[in-house]
Amino acid sequence: MKIEKIATGCPGLDEVFRGGIPANTISVIMGAPGTGKTILAEQLAFANATPDAPALYLTTLSEPLEKILVHGQTHSFFDATKVGTSVFYEDLGVRLRDSGVENLPEIVLELILAQRPRFVFIDSFKALNELLVQAELRRTITYDLASVLSSYECTSFLIGEYSQETLTELPVFAIADVILQMIKLSTNAMEERFLRVEKLRGSDSVAGLHAFSITGSGIQVYPRLLTPPVAPTYSAKIERVNTGIPGFDDMVAEGFWRGSTTLVAGPTGSGKTIIGLHFVYQGALKGEPGLYLGFQENQNQLTRIIESFGWKADQLTNNGLELMYRSPVEMQLDKVTSELFQRVREGKVKRVVIDALGDLERCSIDRKRFSDYIYALTQWFAVENVTCLMTYELTNLFDVSGISDQQVSNMSDNIVLLRFREGPEMERTLRIIKTRGSAHDNREHRLEITNKGVVVKKAKK
Amino acid sequence: MASPRLKLPVATAANRGALILVVERNPIVQRLERYFLEHAGFNVEFTADGITALARARELKPKILVTEILVPKLDGLSLCRAIKSDLETNNILVMIFSHLQAEDRAVEAGADAFLTKPLDEALLITTVDRLLASKTSAGGNLED
Repeated sequence: MKIEKIATGCPGLDEVFRGGIPANTISVIMGAPGTGKTILAEQLAFANATPDAPALYLTTLSEPLEKILVHGQTHSFFDATKVGTSVFYEDLGVRLRDSGVENLPEIVLELILAQRPRFVFIDSFKALNELLVQAELRRTITYDLASVLSSYECTSFLIGEYSQETLTELPVFAIADVILQMIKLSTNAMEERFLRVEKLRGSDSVAGLHAFSITGSGIQVYPRLLTPPVAPTYSAKIERVNTGIPGFDDMVAEGFWRGSTTLVAGPTGSGKTIIGLHFVYQGALKGEPGLYLGFQENQNQLTRIIESFGWKADQLTNNGLELMYRSPVEMQLDKVTSELFQRVREGKVKRVVIDALGDLERCSIDRKRFSDYIYALTQWFAVENVTCLMTYELTNLFDVSGISDQQVSNMSDNIVLLRFREGPEMERTLRIIKTRGSAHDNREHRLEITNKGVVVKKAKK
Repeated sequence: MASPRLKLPVATAANRGALILVVERNPIVQRLERYFLEHAGFNVEFTADGITALARARELKPKILVTEILVPKLDGLSLCRAIKSDLETNNILVMIFSHLQAEDRAVEAGADAFLTKPLDEALLITTVDRLLASKTSAGGNLED
């Protein structure tokens, strides 16, 4: 049986629902105050309502209709010309105060007959439930309302400040076909919003927490990054990708495999960023579009470094190199990886540098989530034949024997270790400690920063 | 009362006043059906179970019988077979209107039309209207 689906109008959310919310269902949108429930509901209403398929938005006793209208208008999805022609607001609270909350199903039926809506929103439904002290009455009224909403061809949304604990207790969750939970997680420095599909009858969704942000355009969802399915026809490219760093590429059979991920780890000042820039510079020279995602130096600072080596930044940009800077202070892991992933899926990049992984990790509330993301991302790089170089900052300047973070090193096909060698003149060194599927020169060599970039000075055999 | 902005579907002139017998156990659906069909210009009678519906069909001779499959005592498909096999009632058009996706079974039972719920007002009225028109043009022998 084919299920008709309603596009949500929220970027990313249809992907979570694998095509949209099933039509003619009852959805509960739940979450704590301030999580964005009303914004989502209004965004859905304005995205879908037309004069022939109108939306009926019923406010109750949680937030006055005037406030909902005032706040709604701060978002670009709110089209004032649709109010009264496609989107109809009604203050249900006033009518219920007069006639009693037990008449809710009857009043909603009357409103349906008056407006013939294709979309019905009750915001907040929980506020009405609270007026029904007796559990038995609460169940009866909820059942009758569900019966009204299911009898007529409309897709409805019951919005409420429900907590996770009430999921098994309240009758509204039993009658719901869809339960969408909105969550706000906070630490001292950061606040992140997530949503999760708790229940979806007769359909499939992407499980887990999906980050979202509230912008002037409304809600933008960043679906959780999943490991790509590997098609039976997929075969890894037998092709090498070089960095153009003198003395380096021949340490691994003229370069790393296309589609592989290389981790360049080293302490601050050891040359990680310059190696990354070399990598995308070489790609641009070969007509391979690249993306440099940095969290420390902004575009201007990176351009200054590039030009200090005599490379022409504007030419590189014309050849498809994008320098993307995101501040680690306001950054959201899901948002950044979603932007990156989008470019990969669109086939816009062949080489990617992420500088540095630690910055991404610090902006993630959940360490496990970070590891899962990076793993999924590197798998996508592999199947899309995008070659990636990730930098990773080590804290110890001199005594570096390896990478303690097992998860990070396991995600990489190749690992290059940089360190400082103590002496009268502090020397930078480079050593390849792992390559997957290739033989490599495993000796430690000097790494020099020159006015043309970095150079590997080979140690004598 | 419906908003004045709404363009509500109505029966064609020739079909106005036609009697429709609806078999539906859910009072809310009954209410919606009555509201939409009467507003469109039809006359509507209701029963909530299949046995009463059969008796009422013999008694009232409606132009169309609209039945849900899941009704008590005699299900909608059995009711349809009974209507179609009885010389007294086999001229009544039968439309199965159900939550069940059972179009093939409805056709096997001899139904003239099939619609799935939930109730889409425009679809209900146009289907009923078209069914009545087809009966008129076919001189009483109809096929959906």
